[in-house]
Amino acid sequence: MTEEQSRGVPTIRRLLLGAQLRRLRTEAGISREDAGEVIRASPWKIHRLENGQVSYKERDIIDLLRLYGVTDPGEIDTFIALAHEANVPGWWNAYSDLLPHWFRAYVDLEAVAAQIRTYQAQLVPGLLQTEAYMRALMRGTLRDRRPEEIERRVMVRLTRQRLFTQDDGPQLWAVMDEAALRRPVGGKKVLRAQIERLIDATTLPRVSLQVLPFTAGAHAAMVGAFSILRFADPDLPDVVYLEHATSATYLDKPEDVEEYAHIMSSVGVHGTPPEQTAEILGELLHDLG
Amino acid sequence: MPQQVPPEIDTSVPQSARVYDYWLGGKDNFPADRAMGEAIAAQVPTIRNQVRAQRTFLARTVRYLVREAGIRQFLDVGTGIPTAGNVHEVAQEFAPESRVLYVDNDPIVLAHSRALIPSTPQGRVAFILADLREPEAILGDPTLAETLDLTQPVGLVLIGIMHHLRDDNDPRRIVATLVDALASGSYLVLSQTTPDFNPEAMRGLAAVSEQGGIPNVPRTFAETEPFFSGLELVEPGLVPIAAWRPDPGIQQDPRSVYVYGGAARKP
Repeated sequence: MTEEQSRGVPTIRRLLLGAQLRRLRTEAGISREDAGEVIRASPWKIHRLENGQVSYKERDIIDLLRLYGVTDPGEIDTFIALAHEANVPGWWNAYSDLLPHWFRAYVDLEAVAAQIRTYQAQLVPGLLQTEAYMRALMRGTLRDRRPEEIERRVMVRLTRQRLFTQDDGPQLWAVMDEAALRRPVGGKKVLRAQIERLIDATTLPRVSLQVLPFTAGAHAAMVGAFSILRFADPDLPDVVYLEHATSATYLDKPEDVEEYAHIMSSVGVHGTPPEQTAEILGELLHDLG
Repeated sequence: MPQQVPPEIDTSVPQSARVYDYWLGGKDNFPADRAMGEAIAAQVPTIRNQVRAQRTFLARTVRYLVREAGIRQFLDVGTGIPTAGNVHEVAQEFAPESRVLYVDNDPIVLAHSRALIPSTPQGRVAFILADLREPEAILGDPTLAETLDLTQPVGLVLIGIMHHLRDDNDPRRIVATLVDALASGSYLVLSQTTPDFNPEAMRGLAAVSEQGGIPNVPRTFAETEPFFSGLELVEPGLVPIAAWRPDPGIQQDPRSVYVYGGAARKP
């Protein structure tokens, strides 16, 4: 691709780097105007940088990171290496060990997504979990159960949930396996409150919930949970996110994404219709006694 | 949790709704759909404009029905993958209480529509999986009775779908069956692709589509007019869709879009 062709066409990589820079800037309480001044650019240029619409100059990145309080030379080098990396699908997997602690690929991609489609086999989607459910889940699954680690993770997840109180937040389409809704994470009381939370969520305009019942039998998503992120920009491909015990995989090659798009459509069709979800959750509450 | 046996999704063959999605710049299409989309574009290089023109025709006709004809409920057959400017969005923007029943025969459209089409709280949007070739099944579906009040006028929307009916499907009977079920004061809006302005391109399009297993029958003006039989066409009548009450400031050669369309009232 020539420079001419690539101009103005955001890639996932640029979008992600831009999202990181935006978060660092807002966390530091710095305006676009002030950030622009440091790199001799307009607030509009900062806006476009943060939306992945223009590519970065190394000098600008160094200046912005310093302004945002990132001073560790190793972290700055990693970020610049990412910005330079050729536009290879899945480019960031190779970096997963080196990423600075503030580099939260999934969370930041999610924050700029227009639509999140997810299938969850074992647990309630993180974006809809109650705090008690989250804590019980983390105590049951994490090896590192130090209170400060759990606290850190709870804060990240609660921050993610604010997406749904923003006016321009993403649309969420979640299909939950019946198993995810019956397993008493945290005990009956916690699960009960969690299901009540889900019932409330069915009334949110941008949330669509479906249940994939046991009666559906074998189904296309038995390989496990996944999320598909879609971005408003027509040139950006969807990204599939898969979580593992020690790492995560991001898929953006068309043939991979299409496989998961097919699976999502399939569980959507085999799941109960969204308008029945509140009623089904009510029955689950009843079964809990 | 009772379940009907859901239809299987087949993404290995092209499907009309997903080919349209490809032309409209959507992301819910698969290689077979894109291959078909490109093969058709080779016959009709302006296909994306043609498809967009049908979307804007839909928006103008629905707006007309809501604002000028007072229609508040719609039956839209051949919905397609949800995109901006669906019937309910156009209708509910002006009349939030509008009720819309979408019908499509593609399970992928079903999955996406029911998950991703939110209604206003005042209105209602519902979706059924059915085929225009079986209008009785559409009319007999319990969701129709739950969504629309057939004693009151309905806007029947048949845009971008008639060319998928072959003559031996008896498309006139199909339209008449649906119109017969509607109250006096209801409206039909319909579009039909035509060979009249560019016979060669449309012959090529139809051949490529048929090869891929998607029926495609462009019709002349004389073949299209009878779909409105017994109904009162509103101004400007049955015309190339680009000439149907164009938005102010839009200059387009009507004959550059190979589609007829009109809106008509049931007396």
